Formats: sequence, C-alpha cells, structure tokens
Amino acid sequence: MKGIHLGEFEELVLLAVASLTDNAYAVSIQAELEERVNRKANISAIHTALYRMEDKGFLESSRGGAVAKRGGKNKRLFKVTNHGYNTLRESKQAREAFWNVVPQISAP
Amino acid sequence: MREINPPKLSRKFLKLIISEDLFDDIDGDLTEIFYEQTETVSLTKARWLYMVNVFSSVRNIHLRRKLNFYNPLVMYKNYFKIAFRNLLKHKGYSFINIFGLALGMASCLLILLFVNNERSFDGFHQKKSSIYRLDEVQTFGAVSAQKVALSMYPMGPNLVNDYPEIINFSRFWTMGKTLVELDGTQHYINEVVRVDTSFLEMFDFKLLSGNKEEVFDDMFNVILSKHVSERIFGNENPIGKLLKLPNDNVNMKVAAVMEDVPDNSHLQFDALISTKAWDDERRRNGWGSNYLNTYLQLANNVDVPALEAKFDDFLVKYLGEEILEAYELFLQPLSDVHLGSMDITHDYNNHKKFARSSVNIFVILAFFVLLIASINFMNLSTARAATRSREVGVRKSIGAFKGQITGQFILESVLLSLLALTIAIGLCFASIGSLIQIIDRDLSMSLFFEPFNLLLILAVTMAIGLLSGIYPALVMSGFNPAVALKGNGSTGGKSFFRNALVVFQYAIAITIIIGTTVATRQLNFMQNLDLGFDKELTVMLDMYNDTNEKYDLLKSELINQPNIVDVTGTSQRLGNNLHQTGITYEGDTATINGSSSFVSVANNFFEFYNIEVLDGRALSDDYAMDAQGKSFVVNESLAKILKADGSEVLGMPFDFGGVDTLGTIVGIVKDFNYNKLNLKVEPLFMSHQSWGWSEVNIKIKGGDIQASLEEIETVWTTLFPHRPFEYQFLDDHIDAMYQSEQQLTKVISILSGLAIIIASLGLFGLASFTVRQRLKEMGIRKVLGASVVQIVMMLSKKFTLLVFIAFLIATPVTYYLMDSWLEGYTYKISIGVVVFLIVGIGSWLIALLTVSAQSLRVAKSNPVETLRIE
Repeated sequence: MKGIHLGEFEELVLLAVASLTDNAYAVSIQAELEERVNRKANISAIHTALYRMEDKGFLESSRGGAVAKRGGKNKRLFKVTNHGYNTLRESKQAREAFWNVVPQISAP
Repeated sequence: MREINPPKLSRKFLKLIISEDLFDDIDGDLTEIFYEQTETVSLTKARWLYMVNVFSSVRNIHLRRKLNFYNPLVMYKNYFKIAFRNLLKHKGYSFINIFGLALGMASCLLILLFVNNERSFDGFHQKKSSIYRLDEVQTFGAVSAQKVALSMYPMGPNLVNDYPEIINFSRFWTMGKTLVELDGTQHYINEVVRVDTSFLEMFDFKLLSGNKEEVFDDMFNVILSKHVSERIFGNENPIGKLLKLPNDNVNMKVAAVMEDVPDNSHLQFDALISTKAWDDERRRNGWGSNYLNTYLQLANNVDVPALEAKFDDFLVKYLGEEILEAYELFLQPLSDVHLGSMDITHDYNNHKKFARSSVNIFVILAFFVLLIASINFMNLSTARAATRSREVGVRKSIGAFKGQITGQFILESVLLSLLALTIAIGLCFASIGSLIQIIDRDLSMSLFFEPFNLLLILAVTMAIGLLSGIYPALVMSGFNPAVALKGNGSTGGKSFFRNALVVFQYAIAITIIIGTTVATRQLNFMQNLDLGFDKELTVMLDMYNDTNEKYDLLKSELINQPNIVDVTGTSQRLGNNLHQTGITYEGDTATINGSSSFVSVANNFFEFYNIEVLDGRALSDDYAMDAQGKSFVVNESLAKILKADGSEVLGMPFDFGGVDTLGTIVGIVKDFNYNKLNLKVEPLFMSHQSWGWSEVNIKIKGGDIQASLEEIETVWTTLFPHRPFEYQFLDDHIDAMYQSEQQLTKVISILSGLAIIIASLGLFGLASFTVRQRLKEMGIRKVLGASVVQIVMMLSKKFTLLVFIAFLIATPVTYYLMDSWLEGYTYKISIGVVVFLIVGIGSWLIALLTVSAQSLRVAKSNPVETLRIE
C-alpha cells in the first residue's frame, strides 16, 4: 500500500486498459467502462486519469492508428506497465484480505 | 457526411485550453466521439455534446505530458554553437548589430557615470540629511527679487541660540588667495577659508594628522590640505610649524593636515582657519551685511517649512520691522546645493555647480540613445529571421516545440547583448579620458564593477537582450515548418512593425539633432552677442592692499610698455552679478531710498571698455568731485527708475550707503551686460571710490599677446617681487559663466552624433536585408530593361518615405521642446525653419546614402547571377 495511491476511478480505468490490451485509448476506454461496469464518465475525466497515471508510471503510451474519423489524428494507445500490474494486484489483495475476515452472511 | 465538422469555435477554444503536447490526442478523441454521435443522434445534439466535452476539458488545463527522453543540455550546447556559427557566417551584420548596441550601451554607461557623479555631490557627509544652507531672498527696491547664497555674520550663532530645532552651525567665510611666509619664502595658498569650530563636526572632511577635537583650540591654528602641506613643507611633518601672514604680521600654527577636498564637494578649500581671530564686537553685531555662507544642522524630524516660517520673526527681532520688505530667509538642503542652485546668485562657494534640469536631459538622452540602439538590434534580428527560416523548419520537423525555438532565439539575443556589453565597456575605457576633459569631472570606471552596479548592468543588458529578442523569437517560432523549409519564412507585408520602429528611431534621432543644433546656436549667439562693452584683449590681475598703494605707479609703468594700450581699475570683475547696495536720491518732491547694483571704477573705465555715454558725461580726471567719489554715472535701467516721478536724472542728488551729504549724477550710460545673458540687466551705478581696486584691467595690443603678457609680468614682478604673477583674460572669465551650458551642448552634440550613427547603422543593415530579399525581383526587372537609376530609386523610395514620416513626427515635438527651453533666455535666437529643413534633408541624405550603397550593388549586379540563385 506504500507508494502512490490508486483512486477508485483510476483503478477502474487501469483495469479497462488492461482488459482492452491492444486498443486502449480514451474513447474505447470510455465505452468499455460503460459496457462492463455501467459507469458513465466524461471523456475529460478519462483523459485526466490516463495522463496522471502515465506520470505515475502505471501506464505507458505510444501513438498510432490515425483514421479519418479522428480528423487524421493519431490515437494515444495506452499499455499497463509492470508497475501498474503490481499496483492492481496489491489493490486486489488488500480487498481480498478484508473479504477473508468479513463474516460470511448468506448471499441474497 | 464529409462536410460535417466539429464546431470550429469550440475546437479553437479547446486549442486554447489544452497544452500543445496533448492537443493532438485529445482533439482526435473528441472528433472521433463527435463523428460517432452524428451516426446515432441528430447533428445539433452531436455538436452540443462536443461542446460539453470541450468545456469539461477545462479541468485538464494544467495537464502536461512528462517527457523522459528530453535532455536540454545537449540542445543548449547546440544553441551556442549555432549562434556562434551564425555570427561568423554573417560577419557584416553581426558587426553592425553588436557594435551598434555596444555604442548605445557605452554612451549610456558613461552618461550614467557622469549623472552618478553629479548626484554624489556632498554625499560623503554623514549628517548630510540634517544640514541646510541658509540662503536669503533679497528684494531691494528696483532690483528684482533674487535668491542669494549669502548670509550675515551674526545669523548663525543667534539662530542656534533662539531655536532649539537648530543644533549646530558653521559659517564658511573665504579669505581668498592668501600669501604666507615660511622661513623667508613666500607661498600662495589659493583658498583659505574661515570656518567655525563646529565645521569638522558637521562636515566629514578627513584629517590625516592632528586631533579633530582640539584642532581649533588656538586662535591662529590652521588646517592645511595635503597638497598644500606637501608643496610648502615637502616631506617634513608640518604639525606645529608656524606660517607667517606677512600682510597682517601674525603667525598661523599648522594644527592638522587633511585629505584634499574631493572633487564632488561643493565646498572647496585648501586651508581652514577658525573665525575666532575675526570675532570682535563689531562683527558679532554686524547685522545688515552679507558676505559669507552659513550652514545649519537641524535636529531630527524638524518640520523645515515651519522653521522657515519663524525666520521672519527672527529678522524683525534683530533688524527691525522694515527689514521684511527686503529680506526673507530660507533653508536649502545640502543635497540640493550642487544641483539646485541655478537660480541663486552670489553663490561663490559652489564648486562646479550644475543644473538639475541638464542632468535630467542627460538621463533622457542616454535612455533614448540606448533605445535607438536596442531598436536596431531588434530590427536586425527580425530581419535576419528570414535567412534562418530553414533552420527553424528543420528544428520543427525534427520535433522542436514552439517554446524551444522561442527560447533558442531569446538566448541567442541575450548572448549577443552580453557580447555588446563587453565591447561597450571596452569603448568606455577608450573614451572616458576625453569625456573627463570635456566635462571636467573626476569620473572613475571602477564604479561599474561594484557588485550591486555590476549586477544591475548585467540585469539591464539581459533585459535588453530579452526584450529585443522576444519579437523575432516569436516570429520565428511561429513559422509553419512546411513553408519554412522552402526557405521562404517571412512573407511581405509583415514588415509594418519593422518600419514603425525605423520611423520611431529616426524621429528620436532627428529630435535630438535639431535640439542640439538650436542649443548650440543659442550658446554661440550669447557668446558673440555685443555685451555693450569691449571684452576683448583684456587681462585681469587681482589687486591686494599692498599692491593698491602702488596702483598709480603700476598704471604708469604699464602704459609705458609698447604693447599695452590702457589700464583701469575696478572694485569687482565684470562678468558676474555685481554687489548691491542701498541708494538714496532726491526726486522733485521727496528723498527716496532704494537699492541698486554698484561697482567702483577708475575714471577711465568708460573709455577703457568703450561704454557708450547717452547723456551727460563719463567720469573724468578734470573734475575734483569725481575723485572724491561724489559723482555718479548710472545705467539706463537705473535712470528709468530715477525719473519715474518725472524728475531730471542729470544733476540729481544721489548717493549710497546712507551718507548725509549726497553726491550728484553726472552721466547716463547705455545698459551693458555685465552678467549672464539669460538674466536681464539690473540697475547699476558707478563712481570712483577711494577704497582701492580689487582688479586691475589691462588692455593689450592684438598683435603679440605673448609679448604683452611678458611686459605685464616684468612690471608686476619688479614692483611686487613677493606677489607671484597670475592673470586671467576677461573673455575667458565671461566664457566660464557659460561653462555649464557649454559642457551640456558638447556632450549632447556627441550623443546626437552617436544617435544618428546608430540609427544609420540599423538602416544600413535593414536595407541590405530588404535588398537581398528582392534580389530576384531586381534581376527580372533588369532583364526586362530597368536602368540602374530606376532600380536604385525603387529601393530608396520606401526609406525616403520612412524618414519623411519620422521628420513629420519629430518636427512639432522638437519645436515645442526647444521653444520652451528658449523661454528661459532674455536674449534668444528664433528657431526658424532653416534648422528643421537642414536637419531633415541631412538625415534624409544620410538614409539615402546608406540605402543606395546597398541598392546600387544590386542594381549593378549581373541579372544572370541574381536569377540563378535558387
């Protein structure tokens, strides 16, 4: 848990990037979030999260895949770094550590 | 489908808020969303959503991509290398660019050095802020009210007694050139001054030996300045030695030696002696006569105007009620004495006094010369941008950001300005010697290298580099790489800014030059104006009590010499303000008291100086009354006052100094300008008093001045072997009155010369760039049959227009400025159109010459050569 804190929204975006593998860029991430967790996020919020996490070293990016639909502009494609995966895993373990001790109330 | 585009305005706004390095990504994303939307919802809604996305992107206004591959050090090294290579590649332009700026900087630095020296006057006294000089405003009847630096002997001590706000005083009473005797050898000490014992407590003049507290304990203790002590005593220790005053037959004891008085002190003296020896009953009650300076030290936080208001009561207490009609006292801060005394007369102890307004003129000029130089610098750099567009193109396509290009060019320009500064300092070293000669000031370059000043100079230099680099840098970094790579960065029509700068530059230069011309003409006019008396070929000798006893012998001996025309004596030297005195005269109805300037003269004075007698007669040896001092000759101004009530002036009973039996006015002479020409002629009367002359005036033949001087010297040293022979020419003395103006115009002439040189340098550089840009056009014109003259004309036309506009701007401004300057002079020239025309045409010709030197080269070139360039 030491090091850089991962916010809830950031964690979702990071997971989305991981799940999208080769085509993770802002617009596809936005769609993925809506599809999987029904989270409607404004594109600007996703930009903020992506570039911040790139600064923190969770993500790396490259450019490619310009299409006419984008006005000829390249996409910025993101990939989760090793550091990013480690952080995701740590986060998951932390949650599981809690779930293990929470009394098992019967599921509805 | 293709025609549908995201809303332009919103997109522009996006560009504004999102940092450059992120824009492409985000713009792409938003565009993609927009086109996706257009497939599912209406176009209006898609646009609306696009706008929402843009606005919510405001939150990312600070977002930047961190670049981990960027190593600025490598680039900085490259910037330096490229800057250096560019300098060498265009040696000529680099020279013009840097040298022009260096010239501007050097003149600015030197002027500031001078200004600093002026401001430093009397700054070395610790108590400077609480020391004031006591001055008077005198209003004597007919003579217009004037501020004088004089005060009365009893004023100082009584002011300290009466007012607790005043805690100390010292008088400064010159004894003039004094003859002293040591072991039978006689020496002159140029300026011996009587001061009060508190003098060294108030003013910080350093003693080299001797005790500050005890230095004036004995009545005839004297403090010598170092150079006098060395001159008289050599290397011996002078302390305790006796110096004889042969004329008074007393001995002065040397009590201390002090450092020579610095040049930036308005008080100058070679020896100090206490007033004690003169402090008798008669002097202590000597109210009414002004002959010395009084300095007062005030307590802390004294309200000066309130204190000055009490001085009227002070005057009434000691001099009676009616004194207020003639006198008013005021305090002048010590810091104001050197620069703020131009309107104060009888200011005899004010070394190198100067006008604050002139100092301000210098500062303004220095600023403008620097401005012209900086504009040049900026103009040339901008013009050069064209030649470097390819470089910018390459840099940009490799991936340079706009900021980096801007940074590079600003850095380069700062670098050049620092280079210019080094050259400027070199120029200063080379020229400071001649400047010191012209303005007669003790300037030292070491001031530049004091840490604070050095930092300031560096900061200003870098600011100049930055400011003049910013415009070209922005222009260059704005190049579109695709266009820039084709080598055609700057397009026509963008030169408006450059042209405006040229106009501005030339307008300043023209203003300065016209101003200088008018000022110089006014000064020459004053110096050559007929003063109303003949000042040429007149030698002045100082007279003393012992020499006065033999005046008749001196005169007859002198006249016997073949090269000497005439000799006369006066009580004051012409060419300053003359002393004033109270007068009494009987009009038709009453006896009236007034006041007037006065000089005692020998009978042949009028003939000697060729002063025109308008009515009555001049003084003459034929009338016994004349030699008794009872005949008076008045000037026109005084005559006008005397006959104000309709009385006849000739024969009017008249006298001065409050005597009982009045003398008579025997003649009226034409007004002559015995004072500075910016002052009007005051009422004046002359008579022959028996109290002796302080000047002997000798008119010599024009042929061999050296021979005449030798004759005078022989006569003088035969008659007065103990008096060293010293003389001055009257016209030199009169010219000295205008010294401040002369220094001003000389320096301004140099500055205006520099201004036009720098402006022309800039124009030269600019012209050569313009010409180069139009090389191909000129080639085609030549092929089609244009003549050399036509091409030169074409290229010069634009610059002619620029100079003409500059002239139009400069003319009214200059006229207004010079007109108000001339207001201050009673005798003045009219400005006239001619100066404007000459300067206007002159600067146009200079501009034309610089430009056509360039255009001629192109015009004469072979079109094959110019057209081949691709």
